[in-house]
Amino acid sequence: MKNAFKRLVIDTATPYLYLSLIIGDIEVGSVYQEGDHNHSVTIIPMLSALLEENDLQLKDLDQIIVGIGPGSYTGVRIGVSIAKMIGYLNQVEVYTISSLILLASSSNHQRMIPYVDARRGNAFMSLIEQRENTLFVVEDDVLMNATEFIRKSGDDAILIKSGKPKIEKILSSNVFKRVENIHDLVPNYLQITEAERHLRSS
Amino acid sequence: MIDLIVLGVETSCDETSVSVVKNGKEVLSNVVLSQIDIHKAYGGVVPEIASREHVKGITYVFDQAIQKSGIQYEDIDLIAVTEGPGLIGSLLIGVNAAKTISLNYNIPIIGVHHITGHIYANNIEHEMQFPLLALVVSGGHTELILMKEHYHFQKLGETQDDAVGEAYDKVARVLGLPYPGGPQVDKLSAIGHDIYHFPRPMIDSGDFNFSFSGLKSHVINLHHNLEQRKETYKAEDFCRSFQEAVTDVLVAKTKNALKAYDVKQVIVAGGVAANRGLRAKMLSEITSVPVYFPHIQYCTDNAAMIAVSGTFKYQKQKHADDYYLNGSSRLDLNRGE
Ligand SMILES: [Zn+2]
Repeated sequence: MKNAFKRLVIDTATPYLYLSLIIGDIEVGSVYQEGDHNHSVTIIPMLSALLEENDLQLKDLDQIIVGIGPGSYTGVRIGVSIAKMIGYLNQVEVYTISSLILLASSSNHQRMIPYVDARRGNAFMSLIEQRENTLFVVEDDVLMNATEFIRKSGDDAILIKSGKPKIEKILSSNVFKRVENIHDLVPNYLQITEAERHLRSS
Repeated sequence: MIDLIVLGVETSCDETSVSVVKNGKEVLSNVVLSQIDIHKAYGGVVPEIASREHVKGITYVFDQAIQKSGIQYEDIDLIAVTEGPGLIGSLLIGVNAAKTISLNYNIPIIGVHHITGHIYANNIEHEMQFPLLALVVSGGHTELILMKEHYHFQKLGETQDDAVGEAYDKVARVLGLPYPGGPQVDKLSAIGHDIYHFPRPMIDSGDFNFSFSGLKSHVINLHHNLEQRKETYKAEDFCRSFQEAVTDVLVAKTKNALKAYDVKQVIVAGGVAANRGLRAKMLSEITSVPVYFPHIQYCTDNAAMIAVSGTFKYQKQKHADDYYLNGSSRLDLNRGE
């Protein structure tokens, strides 16, 4: 166990805080907890407890996997900032993943639309398929009118709004992107800010 | 004396800043990544853009600050991070980055009130001696504070409406001056004349409170009338007249407080402490006790001041915060005193 590969997965882009600690191929501990506006308060205490239960420190980790959204802007920044700091402080490799794929991994349906509400009828969504416990991206992450996207995706696609990610499924799918330079890591917001839009259109 | 090395972190508004300070005085490094040029196009700070920029620059700023300080993370005794007040999205980046370092190296962490940082910026060049009177002037604050000892803040008075920096920005906007407006008004003042004799609000109120919204409206109305009548005017005269009114009030209130309280020094804190007009008037009109201002680089938001404040807070309360420490857009000055 001591030399086994140690991974930490972090996602804070949805109303659920998700942490997973994987040693070798085994998830030795995890957190999946609702708390929309509390990720900033709870994530470090939860992470600290998770490491302690497994007699580990942040420095012992070999890899960080972080959900970079799309989702709540304030939420996703918390997880990304923490992953960025861990990667930078310990020169450990960091991989990014879509927070929507993490969400989809919770389900056993064949065709899924992971869904994070974005108000005014819009949502962050994608279309994911799974075959033999492996996930495939059919339609990439979008922010658009939810009804329209759901109609376009066909009747057999099931909406996934919450659910604890199944990490084995994630690890066996080709859904990661390696961060080349840790200083460049930022969330995937999917859109520029309202202020920037106004400025461009004026 | 054992050295206390403190890592300061400040992300409450539009500067990402990290600093290493030894013994609450010696600045080993102070890196400030300013977003002013980005927000200029919007005439003010856009919170969502500010938060995005903080995430973008956060590890780079830490790295620069550590490299320039010549120390290593392992050498740090305490992490001091701004917990508020400020823009919540921005605060959370600094707080979580700071908590991550705390967890990574098992270094104690302490939350610091942003305004105490501005006050403690003074300790970098002139050791604070108590009791002292602090005039806090910034975009969000106008307060007179009596400090009987370290980390004891007794509010004597405050603005009843706009903060002085807010009034400066508004006047600058009306005159069409670029963002940030305060320094522009100060600059133009130097070549203008006080020809409008604006009111000095609450100057004789007998208390230590302030009000700037009436003065602000007065300036705006006059400007509007002149434009309507197509009369010519000089922006520098507007600036000088406004600045004279504001600084007269600030100086008069400080003098009132000096009559009521026996203090060893007056310190000026906050972004408006960089104002040359205010500096000159305070120094020429208050002679009974020394008046100190932070160096210009420590007047605007920076992490060195947070590290200094955190040093004294830690020494006073003798314990750190736990990992539940969070950012807060509103925060009382005396929290954790
Ligand atoms: Zn400030």
